[in-house]
Amino acid sequence: MRETWVVAAASNRYGKMKESGREAATRVAWEAIERSGLAPKDIGYTFVSNAFGVAERQAHVGPLINTSLGIPDVPSCTIESACSSSSAGLHEAFVHVAGGFADAALVVGVEKLSHLDTLASTSYFAMGADYAFETKNGATFPGLYATLADAYQHAFRTQPEMFGSIAIKNHANAALNPHAQFRKPISLDTYLNSPIIASPLRLYDCCPFSDGAAAVVVAAKEFVRTPKTEPLVIRASARSGSIGDMHDRPDLLGLPATRTAAEKAFRQAKMEPKDIDFLEVHDCFTIAEALALEDLGFYPRGSAARESLEGSTALHGRLPVNPSGGLKAKGHPVSATGAGQVVEIFEQFNGLAGARAVPKADTALAHNVGATGSSCSVHIFSRR
Amino acid sequence: MTATWSLACPRCGEARLGEIDLSGRGRIVAYTVQNVPGDEFLNEAPYAYVIVELEEGGRITGWMPTVRREEDLAIGDRVRFSTSYKPGVQFVKDVPGVE
Ligand SMILES: CC(C)(COP(=O)(O)OP(=O)(O)OC[C@H]1O[C@@H](n2cnc3c(N)ncnc32)[C@H](O)[C@@H]1OP(=O)(O)O)[C@@H](O)C(=O)NCCC(=O)NCCS
Repeated sequence: MRETWVVAAASNRYGKMKESGREAATRVAWEAIERSGLAPKDIGYTFVSNAFGVAERQAHVGPLINTSLGIPDVPSCTIESACSSSSAGLHEAFVHVAGGFADAALVVGVEKLSHLDTLASTSYFAMGADYAFETKNGATFPGLYATLADAYQHAFRTQPEMFGSIAIKNHANAALNPHAQFRKPISLDTYLNSPIIASPLRLYDCCPFSDGAAAVVVAAKEFVRTPKTEPLVIRASARSGSIGDMHDRPDLLGLPATRTAAEKAFRQAKMEPKDIDFLEVHDCFTIAEALALEDLGFYPRGSAARESLEGSTALHGRLPVNPSGGLKAKGHPVSATGAGQVVEIFEQFNGLAGARAVPKADTALAHNVGATGSSCSVHIFSRR
Repeated sequence: MTATWSLACPRCGEARLGEIDLSGRGRIVAYTVQNVPGDEFLNEAPYAYVIVELEEGGRITGWMPTVRREEDLAIGDRVRFSTSYKPGVQFVKDVPGVE
């Protein structure tokens, strides 16, 4: 296996895009390639993620992106893994480059849904669940994670302030991130007084609906030789799955796919949780951040929400989590999210994170979940 | 044991599955009262989406049109199957002595 690097990453500002998903994806891809010092023709394969492209009446967008990058002869394919689509794309790019099937590969994720109303977006997002056994019985996405939050608060007697602290921290970080959809800090009062979407989840427990695009360029060390940026060495690229229907899993107090993907990743990287300087984790709802930190092995079961309230996961805490603002406040343009997490890590490694720079950025972990944890990707990066 | 369509056991992979009849009774494992519905439940919100542990074992999901507030239900409450006419599997509270 060849040593493989992320040589550049780029994204637009999440929120509402005027241009089409295809245009936005091409633009961030262009920017990432330009940053990398490689030329478009160096790309050997393009992995595109656009799970809800049909909402723009567009499928098979890869060839259109490659054509607009001036590389129509480069192969592309669409990688769909719900909210973990573009981290699945990154995994495929890693496999191609590390395995010697391409010297460099492009990963791009994009979503545009802002032309839809709340009802239509809620209905689209529910398609990531099991239609016959969850959605048809009334589940929405916030509803599914709400049942996880219900089980967690019942088992560990947590207080709303603990989940509030996760939202407050992520909004504070996003306020420092030019790519973020929400750039205003929130108070505990704002959190507690926000409407219930799916009990016990309030508005501020939820990630928003977001448009956005992000791209990552992956290349073999031996192909790049003298990088133009501070590359992220991909120390681990692991994926896992678990029982599709949440309710059929042995317990509701975590996501098994996160546990197994993390085990694989730490083994590949020959590292342990204590070796990681900061994390980007999948916080589509505040409960998801707590579960992620426990399933990844950073905190004992039932303690992560408490740790958050104590400030452990803040920008200058012992373990900075989601310096970007996370899905909660940076935004969650479904198929762009996994690549977007890598954009944050790239900016932290390259001194581009400005006021949200973490104290130490030599190693990082990215955790991206598909649906309610039926898919999961974990990537570990370090400096050269 | 699963109440979800499958050719093999989701937990152990065993492919020799048998079928059993269900009483339709069980207990709430986790639930949520949803205020923001999808299109098939447009006129139903707020309602509870529930995960139910069946008396015979195995779990199933459903919804409860009459549960409109979080405090109207609790983990551990007994429920029974009411209908799956429209749109999905419906449960009601299982109050002993009341049909
Ligand atoms: C919570 C939710 C139902 C809100 O619906 P919505 O259509 O965005 O709500 P509205 O458009 O009515 O927004 C109302 C206001 O709240 C703000 N807002 C919306 N979602 C927000 C969120 N998640 N956090 C903070 N503020 C939010 C909007 O900016 C808007 O503010 P404004 O009035 O100042 O412009 C929706 O964002 C949601 O379902 N989120 C979860 C998405 C999801 O499931 N993703 C997949 C996860 S794996």
